[in-house]
This record gives sequence, structure tokens and C-alpha cells, in this order.
Amino acid sequence: MARMKFLCDADRCIECNACVTACKNEHEVPWGINRRRVVTINDGLPGERSVSMACMHCTDAPCAAVCPVECFYTTADGVVLHSKDTCIGCGYCFYACPFGAPQYPKVGNFGTRGKMDKCTYCAGGPDQDMAEAEYVKYGSNRLAEGKLPLCAEMCSTKALLAGDGDIIADIYRERVVTRGYGSGAWGWRTAYGDTITV
Amino acid sequence: MTRLTRLLAIAAFAALGAVGAPLMPLAPMAEAQQVNPTAESVTEDKLFQALRGDQMIEGRASIPDPKAPGLIKPGNKGWADTHTGTIRALTVWTMIGMVALLGIFYAYRGRIRIDAGPSGRTIKRFGGVERFAHWLMAVSFILLALTGLNLVLGRSVLLPMIGEGAFGALSASGKIVHNYMGWAFMLGLALAFVVWVGRNLPKAHDLTWIAMGGGLFKKGVHPPAGKFNAGQKLIFWSVVVGGAALSFTGVMLLFPVLAGTQADWQLYQLIHGIAAALLTAVILAHIYIGSIGMEGAFDAMGSGEVDLNWAREHHSLWVEEVEGKSAGSQGGGRVAPAE
Amino acid sequence: MLVKRRTLEPARGSLAAMAASVAAKPVDRRSFLRASGLAVGGLAALGTLGAATVRKAEAGPMNHALPVEVKKNICTHCSVGCTVKAEVQNGVWVGQEPAWDSPINRGTHCAKGASVRELVHGDRRLKYPMKKEGGKWVRISWDQAIDEIGDKLLAIRAANGADSAYLLGSAKFSNEGAYLFRKFAAFWGTNNVDHQARICHSTTVAGVANTWGYGAMTNSYNDIRNSKTIIFMGSNAAEAHPVSLQHILTGKETNRANVIVIDPRFTRTAAHATDYVRMRSGTDIAVVWGIMWHIFENGWEDKDYIAARVYGMDQVRAEVAKYNPAEVERITGIPGDQLRRVAETFATQRPSTFIWCMGGTQHTVGTANVRAYCNLLLATGNVGGEGTGANIFRGHCNVQGATDFGLDIANLPCYYGLGAGAWKHWSRVWDVPYDYFVGRFDEVPAKGGRDPRTPQQNMEVSGIPSTRWFDAALLDAEDVDQRDNIKAMIVFGHGGNTVPRMLDAQKGMDALDLLVVADPHPTTFAALHSRSDNTYLLPICTQFECSGSRTASNRSVQWGEKVVDPIFESDTDYAVIYRLAQKLGFADEMFKNYEMVQGKYTLEPTPESVLREINRGGWSTGYTGQSPERLKAHMAHQDKFDLVTLRALPDAPAEVTGDYYGLPWPCWGTPQIRHPGTHTLYNTNLHAKDGGGTFRARFGLEKDGVTLLAEGSAPVGGDLTDGYPQFTYGVLQKLGWDADLTPEELATIQRIGGNDPENVANVSWSIDLSGGIQRVAIAHGCIPFGNGKARAVAWNLPDPIPVHREPIYTPRTDLLADYPTRDDGRQFRMPNIGKTIQDKAAADGLAQKFPIILTSGRLVEYEGGGEETRSNPWLAELQQDMFVEINPADARSRGIADGGWVWVTGPEGGSKARVKALVTERVAPGVAFMPFHFAGWFQGEDQRGKYPEGTDPIVLGESVNVITSYGYDPVTGMHEGKVTLCQIAAA
Repeated sequence: MARMKFLCDADRCIECNACVTACKNEHEVPWGINRRRVVTINDGLPGERSVSMACMHCTDAPCAAVCPVECFYTTADGVVLHSKDTCIGCGYCFYACPFGAPQYPKVGNFGTRGKMDKCTYCAGGPDQDMAEAEYVKYGSNRLAEGKLPLCAEMCSTKALLAGDGDIIADIYRERVVTRGYGSGAWGWRTAYGDTITV
Repeated sequence: MTRLTRLLAIAAFAALGAVGAPLMPLAPMAEAQQVNPTAESVTEDKLFQALRGDQMIEGRASIPDPKAPGLIKPGNKGWADTHTGTIRALTVWTMIGMVALLGIFYAYRGRIRIDAGPSGRTIKRFGGVERFAHWLMAVSFILLALTGLNLVLGRSVLLPMIGEGAFGALSASGKIVHNYMGWAFMLGLALAFVVWVGRNLPKAHDLTWIAMGGGLFKKGVHPPAGKFNAGQKLIFWSVVVGGAALSFTGVMLLFPVLAGTQADWQLYQLIHGIAAALLTAVILAHIYIGSIGMEGAFDAMGSGEVDLNWAREHHSLWVEEVEGKSAGSQGGGRVAPAE
Repeated sequence: MLVKRRTLEPARGSLAAMAASVAAKPVDRRSFLRASGLAVGGLAALGTLGAATVRKAEAGPMNHALPVEVKKNICTHCSVGCTVKAEVQNGVWVGQEPAWDSPINRGTHCAKGASVRELVHGDRRLKYPMKKEGGKWVRISWDQAIDEIGDKLLAIRAANGADSAYLLGSAKFSNEGAYLFRKFAAFWGTNNVDHQARICHSTTVAGVANTWGYGAMTNSYNDIRNSKTIIFMGSNAAEAHPVSLQHILTGKETNRANVIVIDPRFTRTAAHATDYVRMRSGTDIAVVWGIMWHIFENGWEDKDYIAARVYGMDQVRAEVAKYNPAEVERITGIPGDQLRRVAETFATQRPSTFIWCMGGTQHTVGTANVRAYCNLLLATGNVGGEGTGANIFRGHCNVQGATDFGLDIANLPCYYGLGAGAWKHWSRVWDVPYDYFVGRFDEVPAKGGRDPRTPQQNMEVSGIPSTRWFDAALLDAEDVDQRDNIKAMIVFGHGGNTVPRMLDAQKGMDALDLLVVADPHPTTFAALHSRSDNTYLLPICTQFECSGSRTASNRSVQWGEKVVDPIFESDTDYAVIYRLAQKLGFADEMFKNYEMVQGKYTLEPTPESVLREINRGGWSTGYTGQSPERLKAHMAHQDKFDLVTLRALPDAPAEVTGDYYGLPWPCWGTPQIRHPGTHTLYNTNLHAKDGGGTFRARFGLEKDGVTLLAEGSAPVGGDLTDGYPQFTYGVLQKLGWDADLTPEELATIQRIGGNDPENVANVSWSIDLSGGIQRVAIAHGCIPFGNGKARAVAWNLPDPIPVHREPIYTPRTDLLADYPTRDDGRQFRMPNIGKTIQDKAAADGLAQKFPIILTSGRLVEYEGGGEETRSNPWLAELQQDMFVEINPADARSRGIADGGWVWVTGPEGGSKARVKALVTERVAPGVAFMPFHFAGWFQGEDQRGKYPEGTDPIVLGESVNVITSYGYDPVTGMHEGKVTLCQIAAA
């Protein structure tokens, strides 16, 4: 069984934000919710690198551990999903997430965050696959259609890789060997407890 | 934080530069001037080392959401561990511990009776405002504690029993109850503080009371006490301090924008969890002694009138004070026969 | 295979079950959307989730039970030409999938391309024709709009002349739309027809065409994968052409290529460079000459290449000698050794390519900058081969095609110019007598001491550039060299905030008698002014709502298929141009060659039939082989083209065999001879039949006794192995190849030559409507336009050899004595008083009052004037505020905080803009940068209320071009958009 992961090759990422709008487009994500975002480190300095970040679908996901209503679950593909029917919008998953992935539809005052929303790895949620109810709550379910997340598929420079962790690690490793440099598999150590050595 | 990240990154570059420095006189000028953004790229590993792994790697993002520029903060997993480990364990063990203690105490002491037996005469202990404050706090606290406990323990206890759908709906309602009851609790707390703080200042005889274990462990022993004995004062101050901590952190959690950053929320959430566990344990003891633990105690907050003998045994100085006062004025007007 | 944790139903409580039953209730969004006409959230009221968690969902998701139609179109934003794969159900665009098959984008997009589906949701689109009545926007019908506009135009024509109507077209047109618009201008009788190329690459087209023949990108984005050294100068491709970086970064990685970025600003592109060189804005020529100084000094130039294929390099060498490292450092601020390394890398680690964009072109010396870049390429032998070339990244999705089809004040379609020969050629193609057009043009009286012009003379005089239309509306009529001022602006698909001096543009808008904006969105042209009447908005659909071809920057022509019908009351360019022509009385003549079909409201020509007419006339540029059938076959078999060479793979079907993807022009001869197109221009390593080429022999046979024909260089396998002039019937006769012409071809040539032997001999490859001359030349392995030398010296331009000239508003007034701007003059019917302004600015000490250099550029999320992209919530959310980038040192000394409000003030007319500060090291101390996509705030005033209700873009902001200032390139009228002075203060 595949173990799905994301890998952003920061030496390719140009902060074009295609991943961000592809996500908005695919799932009709409302204004104010950013399931994916691009962060630029050392902006304007020679060491500048941009990294596209969303839910990394962690191994032993901390969000799942802290959720008071246990609305998270991990699929056989290693994708971390959650049930909006169960979610109470407490915000704990945001406190626990190392990647700032959980998003809430409201500003968050007076306990009115609303149901948490986050990257689903284009894999929907607990409702029936590809049903309308699933789309309304979680967006489309590309994995069920045999497709990968649209953000990675549409990445302008193929910086953002999605797929089985071993395969994308191999792709990255090969790139680093070919070009002779690599700023690292950003977030891997934190999300998966290991990193890609070349 | 952005500044810090940048400074550290610059420091990292400077360190790299220092390694290369001895070579510089040998290298041609052109090399010295080259700006090679590919070679100088920041790496996750270096940043982590510079940040020692527990701070946020932050950058720039154009979305105006102040949370957007944060990239990675491994330290959040530490909070998660504390939350799922320490807080959960503390909650479970303080609850179990307190219930066990009270059980042992009950087994040892049984219900504490009025030694002299009921006198049949009552004395006014708490007025309407006092009782209102108490019950406002009490009801809200119980609801807060139950809904709060559900957040910590519900998924282990309740969820398997009632299933996901019901548990989700219940927890969602519980969260709303928790958010609103907090205000009732804070009002009660404020009222109670105002009406009782004067009576809860420490006195010398409190030391005696404590030295004698409040007379709780031995029949017929009744150290002198004012309107509130030292044990009650301890509960009062526990409620005031714990309640204030819970109120402050609770409000911060309700209004995260006021609270500041994610790190602040985490801190407030931890304080809230610890304070809640401890205060709940204290309140368990309070409920015990105010109900099944002691004969005649409940009336104080029930009708507000307590049996005179009970009062003499447990609050001798207060009874003297009240009787002295009434004797001095109108002659026992405040002590009425119970018919 | 996914594993669901558990089904929800068994464990559900009653509340959750109720919520689920509501959420699962089927709602037919599509019928809802179609019935309502407007996009309203159909599911927003559902369930217990709360509105904000529910997707808007008015045009998604896909209903998996319904059939899906897949349509391929081309992204309507930049010039890279990414294929957009649209999934359509019931006439609604429900999904966008990666177009893996396209060799250009291979499934990928940037932020803009990944969100184009929203364009046809169009919440903020202009929904029906509107006009201003007493200062209020009111809805009108198409018939009323066309009637009133036509009547006013005819009245202006009678009172002020045809030249008083300015026809501003668009780089967003399809090729067919652009061509029709140019043809419309010809039938109306004016050369005042222009589009965005004026303000992006007009100087490139002029500079490059004057160097080696054609004003276009020589190679392709894909071909950069072959490069060993890549220079970006004044190009921030990472933000302006993001998908191109896929090819560039892959090349960088696999070849370990050198990527050198020379720019005043540390851009997102610079972040991926191997060498970043910071220069002072506006000193490109000194930088390039500084690089070439090292090349000549060290003998790194390609001497064989220069001898065989370049004219005049010795004269350039003499000029370059003046730019020694010390002088270059004095001008540009770049230490000399840095440029030595750049020079050595570029000259010796070949193949090398040079990429530039508006950082190079938008200057008073734009054409000279371009000429300097070309000289660097020629000196190092880096034009005409794989991995080399002048890779000019064009801006808009069809700016190349719109340029090719003469949306230009100085050209008829396909660069024929405005001479009588050009008019006669197109008269033949259009099947309309030449005299008809003569009769449509104004007679110009003698004014301001200038000679009068007959209509025939006037039709050969270039029009007014789009950068100066407001001057032509405001200046004294004596100063405007045409019958009268500009009185009417007809603006199709063009922003009003992309040209400097917006304070004057606003006055210009107020001064017009008629303003018509035909656009999917009301642009700045609709909102900046304070007009109360005679202002019309016509809702035009996007290219996703009609079919047609568009030409990407690499000259590949791609056919876009209509995805959905025009939404709301919008209509196609084709239909609206037809209606206007009908109202103005020349539709029957203009549209007689086309297949007319019933469109949404009216007849309209099919784009296929328009393209066929282009094929019949576009000989000069090789726009003749790209028949609609061939283009559609390419789109159908995109996966059959090689990623690097763009050539059809061995297993490609017969209909595309041997072709280069998109038949990049020149695609010689008729479609029947199946020329494959030309992937890399001027490439002598390929046979002419395989897309080989030479430098175009368009500047004569010799200059000052030196040959202008190539020496010992020609495309491989050709019958001629040395230079040769352009092919005419006479040349064919001399070579004895005239016998290869078919009788039909010969008959056509003789008809064009008027059956006069001398004229017939002069009938050239570019006006031979039979295509016979081209066919025969290609068959013999020769290029129809001849085999000439590139010109290092362009003697017909103001600075034949470029020299550094300081910007009008320069902080370095100490350099003015040595490097002043050019003297005042008159170009394009207008005075150009740059020198006067430069002198006055220096005398007034403006460099002290405005000590910061202000430059401008693109953001990845927005495009052009930005109305369309700022109306797209998926993009708008990412850039919500107009900003100015300012260095931390400058910010500190001014007490400016990151994210705080500031006033930016400019040197002309008390201009000011209130924007947010972005404090960053991207810009050096003393330099500020502002993006140019914003409008809707003006001098601190929010103009949201001036847009018709519901059409105001989500994000509004100050326009940088309020601050930018005077300055025009003498060759093309390009504005100075990249250097002015400003002051910044905390607001």
C-alpha cells in the first residue's frame, strides 16, 4: 500500500502560487481558508527559498492525538482526514500542528471558529466517495478517481511532488544528484520522522 | 520572529563565510564579489540547527493572515505531547486520587455529625446574594467541569459508549455550553469575591485550626473558627486563584486574536487544563464536605439558615460574634427558634 | 485504494443524521445557475456546517453520473501558451484538469492559469451593455449601444476626421480578432490603431527586427533546456512567466547551466540564479557594453560567426572600447570584475541565451537597449542554434499574434508596413480596390509649419502610439499632426492604468467626446474619469467563450476551442466588430470573404474562415501554412511532440508528421506543402524544409561598399551555399528555377505584376499570393526572404550604435553632461520634449527632492491592468493591497514599518499614491518597486463607487503609473515605465 506524502523541492519553487489557486479551484475553497500556502524564507536575500506548505499528512499526526472528539483518521494510504460532522472547532489541532495546516472559516472569536478545514490530499472525507455531501464538506476526491492532488499536478516547475513517499523521495534524490544541490525535504523530519539523504 | 529567523540565517551565512575566510586572499576578487543564490540557499537543516528545533521557521507570505508566514514549528508537537500526556494524566489522576481520598475519609470518619445534636434553633448564615453567587458558580462550574472533562477524556470514555455521531453532537453542544457558562462562572466568581473576601483574610486562629486538622479526623474536636474556617478559606482562595486563572486563560482562548500568537494560545490552554484539573479536585472535596460529608453543612447554602449547634461547633467565633452583636443591639433578634 | 475508517450511519446521533440528510439533498446547481443567469451560491444555505465551510459550488463539483466533455483552450494570461483542459457538463465549466499532453506546460500552471475557470463564473464581470447617463450607469441593449456609438463615431468622422477616433485593441484578442480589428481600422481609415505591444515589447520588435529581420523570440521556452548559460536582464520570469521556469530550471539542473540575473531588484528569478548582478535601473547599455568590453578585450568573441553573418561589428567594438570597467562602474554601479565573469561565462560556456522583458524595453532608450542585447548575442555567435538566441518573453497570451497582425500604428498585418505596396497587397487579399482605402483616410491640412498630407500620404504615415493618446486629446490641435485631436477612444480589452502619467490620462478621458470600453470587465477606462455621458461599456466574452488561434511567445500557434457559450449578455469580439462595421457601413466589404454563422445575437464570421484569409495573405511572416485543420490536428495530438525540439515524434499520425508544435512562424508556403514551421529562427544547421533559416536580407545588398549578404553561411542542404537576396520572380528566373512554378502559380504572379514584365519580375515572395515563389525557394533549400547578415549597426535608427543615455528623471545628474537623453523631436504625429524635461528636472534639483528611484513590474497573481485578475477571488485573496517595496535602511530612516501605510510622491504634477510599505532587501537602498496591476484608488481616493454596481474588482489600489513620468522611446513611442524618481513618507 502506498504511503502518500508531499515534498516541496524548494530549489524549484518560485512562489507562483499555482498550488494555492489550483486548490481553490478544485475544491471551491472559500475566501479566508488557505489549505495550502507558499512561504518565502529569507525574502530578498541571496539565500531566499520558497516552500509550498499544507497539511503534510504526518505519521502519528499530532492533530489526531489532541482532537478531543477524535474526528481524525488516517487512511490506508497514509492520508490524514477528518470528519466535519464530529469536529467541534476547538482549535486544538491548530495548536498541535507544526505546519499551520488547520484552517477555520471564522476569525475565531468567542469560540466561533466553525468546523476545521484543511488539505485532504484531494481525498475527500468520511462520506461516500465522490458524493455531493463529500464535495460540499471536503471538496473533490481525486484519489478515488485515481488522480493525485491537483496542487502538485499543476505545479508550474514541478517543485511540489505528491505521491508515494518512496517514489517522490527517489525523484528528489535523483534531482539533487543531477544538479548538485538541495535545500532539503522541508518538513519531512517533522512530519515523517525521517528525511531524504542523498 | 521573522527578524530573528533572518538574523539567524545571516549568522549561518556569516559562519559559512568564516570557514571560507582564510582562503579569501588567495581567491580572485571576482569570486569574492559573486552573489550565487543557488549556492547560498538556506536549508531546512541549518535553520533548524540555528533555531534549535523548537521555534517557528517563519518567512513572508502575501496573504494578510498573520498565521500564514509561519512555515514549520516542530515544537507544536511538544504541546501535543503535553496535552495528550501530562494534562490527560493529571486530570485522570487528580480525579481518581480525590475520589479515592474522599472514599477513604468516608470509610474512616463516616458522616460528620453534629456532636451536640441538632439544637432545633437556626442561625442565619448566608443571605440571598451570597447564595446566589455560590449557586451561580456552582452550577456553571459543574457544567464547565463536565464539558471540559469531556474534551480531555470524552474520546476515551464516552465515544466508545455512544458512538461518533452522538458524541460529535454532544461535544459540539458541550463546547457551546462551556463557552457561555464561562461568563456565568466569572460573574459568580466576581460576586463571591466581593461578598466574601473580607471574611477570608487569614487570621491567627486559622493556624490552630490547621494544626488540629480542623477537627475533621476526630469526633468532638472543634477548633475555633470565624465565619469561614481555614479549610473554607483554602477553598475560597483556591477558587479565586484557580477561577481567575481559568477565567483569564478561558477568555484568551475565546478571543484568540487578543491572546497573541499560537505559542500564547498553547500556554493558555496548558494553564487552563492544569488549573481545571486541580480546581475540579478541590471542588470535589468541597462538594463532599458540603453534602454527604457533614451533617448540617448543606443548609448553609440551601436555606441559608444553619443549626445553632452546628454553627457553634464549626464556627464558634462567628457565632459569638453574631450573638454578641445582636445582644448588644436588639437582644437575640437574629437567632430565632426553629419551629 | 482508500480505506474509509467506518461508515458514519450506525453511530450517528439524531442531530448529525439530520444535518447529513439536509446536506445530501440533491440540488441541481447547473439548472439553477442557468436559470438565474447570475452566479449565486446554490448550496450556501445548506446544513449545519455554516455558510463559510460550505464550498461556493455554483459551478462544481462534477456530477459523476453525467457525461463530461473535455475542451482544450489556451490560458488567457501570459505568453507561455499553457494548454487549459476544461471539463464541461451541461454547458457549465465544472473542472480544470492538468493538460499533460501539452509540450509547453505539461499539465502545469501558475496561480493565474490554475484559476482561469473562475473567469467564466464571472461574479464581477460586466453583465450587459451599459452607458453613462447624467453621471449614472444605466443598462442598455446591444442594439441601442451599437446604434448610439455608431452615430457618434460617424458624427466625429464628419466633424473631426477618421483619425480622431482611436482604436485601441488588445493582446487578448485571438489572432482572428486582432486581424479583424486591424482590418476594421483600415476600413475606417486610420492608422491610430494599437495594442499592448506598444507598452511591452514594441522596442523589442523594432530593435530585433532592425537587427536580423523579425521582431520575435528566436527560440522557444522548451529550447532553453539546451542552454548552458542563460542571462535574464530586466526579466522576472519566475513571476511573469512562471511555467517557463519549468524548462529553465530543468535545463539549469541537467546541464548544470549558469543562470545569470542582472536586475536592479533581487527577484524571485534571481533567487534561483547562480550569479546575481545588481545594476542601477536604466543603465542597460552601459552594462552590456561593459560585458562586451571584456569579451573584446579577451578575444572571446566568435570571429568566424561575425565574419560570416554579422555586419558592422567593428564599429560596435569601437564604441564598446569607451565603456571600460571604471566607466561602467561609474554609470551602473557594478564593479568591473563581476561583469568580467559574466562576459567569460556567456561567451565561452555556450550555447548561451539572453532573455529580456520590460526591464529592458520600457525605457526612453528601449530600442537601443534591445539592440545592445542583440549585439552581445551576435558577438558571441549565439543566435541561430539550439540553446541560443534572443528569448524575448512576450507579455500577454496573444501579444505576439496581435503584433503579428498589425494592431500597430506602423503596420498592416504581418509587418507589411504602411507603404503603397503593403496596402495594395492587402487590398488584393481582401478583394477590395486599393482606392477604396485611400478614400477612407483624412486629408491633413498644413499645421504648425508642417506640410499638408493627401489621404494617400496620410495612410502611409504611422499613427499615434497608445502611450500618447491623451496627449493627442489634450495638446493644442496645432501640435497634433493629423486633421484634429483624438475625440473618441474605442478600447477593446486594454487597461487604462498601464501607461504612465495617469493624471494626464484622466484629463484626457474627460476631454473625449466618446469613450467606448469593450471588455469582460469595466477597466480603469470606465472608472478613472469623471465623465457623465457618452461613455459606453460593452461586455465582451473571454477567449474561453469563443474559438480561435493564438500565438505564444515562441511563435507557436495554438487553436483554442470554445469551452462554454458567452456568459451573461457578453458577446465575442468577432460579433461586436461585425456589428460596428455594419453600423458604420462597411461590413459587406469587410466580411465578404468569411463564412458567416449565426452567433449569440447576430451573424459573426467563423474564426476558421478568418484564419484562412490570413493564410492567403500572411506570406511575409510565414503565417500561410497554419491552416485551421493543421492547428486543430496539433491540439488533438499534443502528446506526439518532443519536449525539447518540439518536433513531431516518430509515432505521430500523418497529419502532424514532421511538424514543430504549433507550426511556429514562419511556416512557409501553403498548408499543402506542409512546411513544419520554424522552431529556432535563423538556424543554418537545419534544411529549409526542416525549419532552417538565415538572417533576413531586408536591409539591401550592401552598405558603404560592404556586403550585407551572408558570407559562406547558408542552411544545410540548400542549393545556394552563400548569401543571397530575397526571392522574386526575377531571381527565380536568373537561377533558372522559374520553370518549377506551376502554370497556376505563374498566372497569379503575372496578375499581381499587372502583366508588366518589369513588375512581374519584382513580384516577391511576400506578395506572391500563389505561394509559388516560396514553394520553389524552399524546395531548393533556400529561405524566401534571402540570406543576409545581421546588423550590428542599424543606420536607420536614432542611435545606430546604442550609447548610454540617462533616464529623463535620473538621480545621477552628474552624468547628464556625458550621457544626456536625445534632443527634443517629433515622432508619431506628436512632439517629444524629453530633453527639455530632463534639463528642467536637473535645474529644479528634483533628484534631491525625490531621492529614490522608482521602478515597476509584475506580480504572479495579477496581469496587466489587473481588472480581470483582481476580480478573481482565488487570485485576489493572495494580494490584497497595493504596496511599495522599500529597503530596510530607507524605511528605518523614514520611520516606516513593514505593512504600514505610506505616501509615495512623484516628480510630476504633485502626483501621490497611498500604499502599504513592504520593507525588504529585494530592493537596494535608494530604490523602490511597485507592481503595476492596481487601480481603483487614485491619489488616496477610493473610486469603488465609480464602477457600475457589482463589477468593481475585489481588490483595488493605487496605480504605479500615477507616479511614473514623461519619457518616450523615439523609435516606437514606448514609455519610460521603469525609471522615475519618488519620495516615500509614512502616512
